[in-house]
Amino acid sequence: MISFVLNRFVSGCIVILGLTVLSFLLVHLVPGDPVQVMLGIHATPERMEELRSQLGLDKPLWTQYVRYLSDLLHGDLGTSIKTGRPVLVEIADRFPETAKLAVSALVIAIVIGILTGTLAARFKGSFIDALFTGFATLGVSIPSFWLGILLVMLFSVTLKWFPIANGTGFRDMILPALTLGVVASTLISRLTRNGMVDALSNDYIRTARAKGLEERTILFRHALRNVLIPVVTVIGLQLASLIGGTVIIEQVFNWPGLGTMAIGSILSRDFPLIQGTILFMGVVYVVINTIVDILYHAIDPRVEFGAKVAS
Amino acid sequence: MRANAAMKSLSNIRVKICLLFLLGVVVIGVLAPFLAPYHPEKPFYDAILQPPSLKHWLGTDAIGRDVLSRLIHGVRVTLSVSALAVLITFIVGTLAGLASAYVGGVLDNVLMRVMDVFLALPSIMLALAIVAILGPGMTNAMIAVGISSIPGFARLVRGAALSIKASGFVEASRSIGSSPGWIVRRHYLPNIGGVLLVYTMLFVGIAILETAALSFIGLGAQPPTPEWGTMLSEGKKYIYDSWWLATFPGLAITVLVFAVNYLSDSLQSVFDPKSAS
Repeated sequence: MISFVLNRFVSGCIVILGLTVLSFLLVHLVPGDPVQVMLGIHATPERMEELRSQLGLDKPLWTQYVRYLSDLLHGDLGTSIKTGRPVLVEIADRFPETAKLAVSALVIAIVIGILTGTLAARFKGSFIDALFTGFATLGVSIPSFWLGILLVMLFSVTLKWFPIANGTGFRDMILPALTLGVVASTLISRLTRNGMVDALSNDYIRTARAKGLEERTILFRHALRNVLIPVVTVIGLQLASLIGGTVIIEQVFNWPGLGTMAIGSILSRDFPLIQGTILFMGVVYVVINTIVDILYHAIDPRVEFGAKVAS
Repeated sequence: MRANAAMKSLSNIRVKICLLFLLGVVVIGVLAPFLAPYHPEKPFYDAILQPPSLKHWLGTDAIGRDVLSRLIHGVRVTLSVSALAVLITFIVGTLAGLASAYVGGVLDNVLMRVMDVFLALPSIMLALAIVAILGPGMTNAMIAVGISSIPGFARLVRGAALSIKASGFVEASRSIGSSPGWIVRRHYLPNIGGVLLVYTMLFVGIAILETAALSFIGLGAQPPTPEWGTMLSEGKKYIYDSWWLATFPGLAITVLVFAVNYLSDSLQSVFDPKSAS
């Protein structure tokens, strides 16, 4: 187990190092003079030289990367050209909003996904099964930003249950979280359904039924427990992808998170901010994936056993 | 055996329906100028923000342009942008995946570690990073979507190719002195052709969604191009009193992606029944 954790940790670090190369190269891959691109065509030569020197672009590439890495290790992600504030501060301001949204969406996704998946398996082949399975297929095809707009039109414009998003309070968060949650629930629902169909055909379920146990106990206590391991893994991975998914949804609901900041920085060509945000999101993604991978091995002894047998 | 699989897939009723539908969409795209009732950029100043009516079946937008005509012309934009994006993914992803599986060793290790780094970012973030480099615009968004899907595609192709590599006939062919090019052409490509088709369809759906998403946030197609994501973004401003503007472009994207995904699923049950189940 320890060697597995170490192995995952080292691979995670290598990927993060790769991400630093990627984010570092972003500014160097821009066609033309990156300083000109950032400051626009009306920039004075003095201001251009100042920024070039501030970003270290007048030094050899290798020296620049070493300096970039060293700054990163000291928690310095550079300074936003537009606001003049440190990139880390900008990210620290915005990340809690994105995380809040992603976690709420995950809770919604788990509730909807497990409930619809379990019911579809229980009533396999019936109308309910067809409805929920169809809903899961539709969920993969529907653009999340359109679903968001539809929910606003229904719940905010027509029914007036929720405010038109412009704040970050609890009521403002419900619709964006629901949008992301519904889309994310489709994978959990599919996986739960397939796992439950297998689980419900086992002998111990027949025994439980023969004992006269309540259907709810059989479903949630006996069958669901046995499909939770793969589902929990997907849930963890969904959290990581939800952080990416918020990028677009934040635009629909004017949510002041990392996604809105990333898109704003791309439009204003604020490269230090773009680099910082992309690196930060990549690191969060890698960290969550690594933790999920380790937890998966910790909670399912069969995986460890399988690995030993294979080796 | 392959001919059987192809026949089987074509005789599948689900595949037939999806193919007919998608063929219809392609025909609409090709014949857009003849099918659309009006020019997609022609404003009707006497019919601004009109709801669906007999004259304008899907209503008009904020400057009086016919929504149906813009949607029909949007088919062209969406299909061509997604097809070109997937072409980039397909060519580079297949080459990288095959090279990785066939050569193995250091090349496989290096290529897959590079892919790991790219896969460490959600694909929409990777697309954003590429747009950040190239600048906003439809062509750049198309390139970004194409490149951002390469790592996932290459990994799938590598997986499929590795299963062929492990089979006896590749080893036998190599032992009688067949050249690498011959082995790839005669053994790898025909045997993973079906799976490649499934993956490609899967990525067409992803490409349609991502290009629409990039246009929606203002980094892809720019107004007045009749692109569905851009139309949705414009329609979002009028959700209070003009529901049709944000409804129909979203519905068009959903129906098209649903058909593509459904076809991909149906093809998977024919060509790759093990993973489909």
